[in-house]
Amino acid sequence: MLLRASSQQENREVDLNSVTHEDLDSGVEHNEHLRALTEATIQNDWLRLGAIRRDAEAAMGNQMTVDALVVASAFNGITRVADATGIPLDESTEDRTTDMRESTGIARFDYEEKSARYANS
Amino acid sequence: MYAKNPLLSETLRTHHAEALKAIASPGDFFTGAERNEMVRVAREALDCQLCAQRRSSLSPYAAPSAAEGAHDGPGELDEVVVELIHRLRTDPGRITRAWFDAITQKISKQAYVEVVSVVACSVIVDTLHNAMGLGVPQLSPPRPGHPNKQYNEQAVEDGAWVPLLAVTPGPTETNQPQTWNITRALGLVPNALGLFFNTFRPHYALQDISLSLSQSQAEFVAARVSAINECFY
Repeated sequence: MLLRASSQQENREVDLNSVTHEDLDSGVEHNEHLRALTEATIQNDWLRLGAIRRDAEAAMGNQMTVDALVVASAFNGITRVADATGIPLDESTEDRTTDMRESTGIARFDYEEKSARYANS
Repeated sequence: MYAKNPLLSETLRTHHAEALKAIASPGDFFTGAERNEMVRVAREALDCQLCAQRRSSLSPYAAPSAAEGAHDGPGELDEVVVELIHRLRTDPGRITRAWFDAITQKISKQAYVEVVSVVACSVIVDTLHNAMGLGVPQLSPPRPGHPNKQYNEQAVEDGAWVPLLAVTPGPTETNQPQTWNITRALGLVPNALGLFFNTFRPHYALQDISLSLSQSQAEFVAARVSAINECFY
């Protein structure tokens, strides 16, 4: 996960479990606003997003608020490319992230595992 | 579109406008009109009753299949393409290999890749427009012309469901991949690969991101999106 690498470069402690656990603080600055903006955007909750944006703009500024939306929208597209094509993890990522995938719960998103889970249901 | 919103880079605004024009142009396996129709169907999928029923089911494959219950908004596309678009738009995290195999028994993997590219590209453009409070942008008028059936015959089987762009094996000096698998995923159809990444690129960079967010803030947003969409990669 690139969150870990980037936080190390910035000498910042982050809690990777915050990615899959909504009640945890990631440790990145403006965690709560970034989380709320992202969730409302990806869940197409445009009504709620209006108020979330106003709160975020007051706390982080207009530019940072829009930039969070820019990143969220990009990943809303690229995750579909990955999900639709079943691409494997890159070798270096796979080697380095085994424990983290288990502890965060991301392992349950594995394409083979999902295919097996839903195969007979 | 975004007019001249100073909070969005000119590059991003230009690339989004180009994306809509490219979608409306003939692709390799679909006409411009059909590609525009894919975007229209993707937008409509968000209000589809069958998709809502599937989303609320413990397993989306236990809910009625497309054969048992039609998606809302019949249109000009083949029903298997409509099923692909609806699933990709509304429940991508629960796409399975068996579903992929069933779809690609009816359309080629090349056509599949083109649909994925057009829909994923439109998701980026529409999501940002909606998030900015602008509503979805108007589609470009479809351009005449026929699909030219071009694809990459050198694409390779390398652990994904579709053949991937062939690359030099092995990591770089810093133990990173020469080419990340995500950038190889649409490599079976070079124009599909180009369409998607021309749209994606102004939004994000793996390092030295040119936004007001720090890299770790951007990665937190990215990781949170991946978790919500149940994306393993």
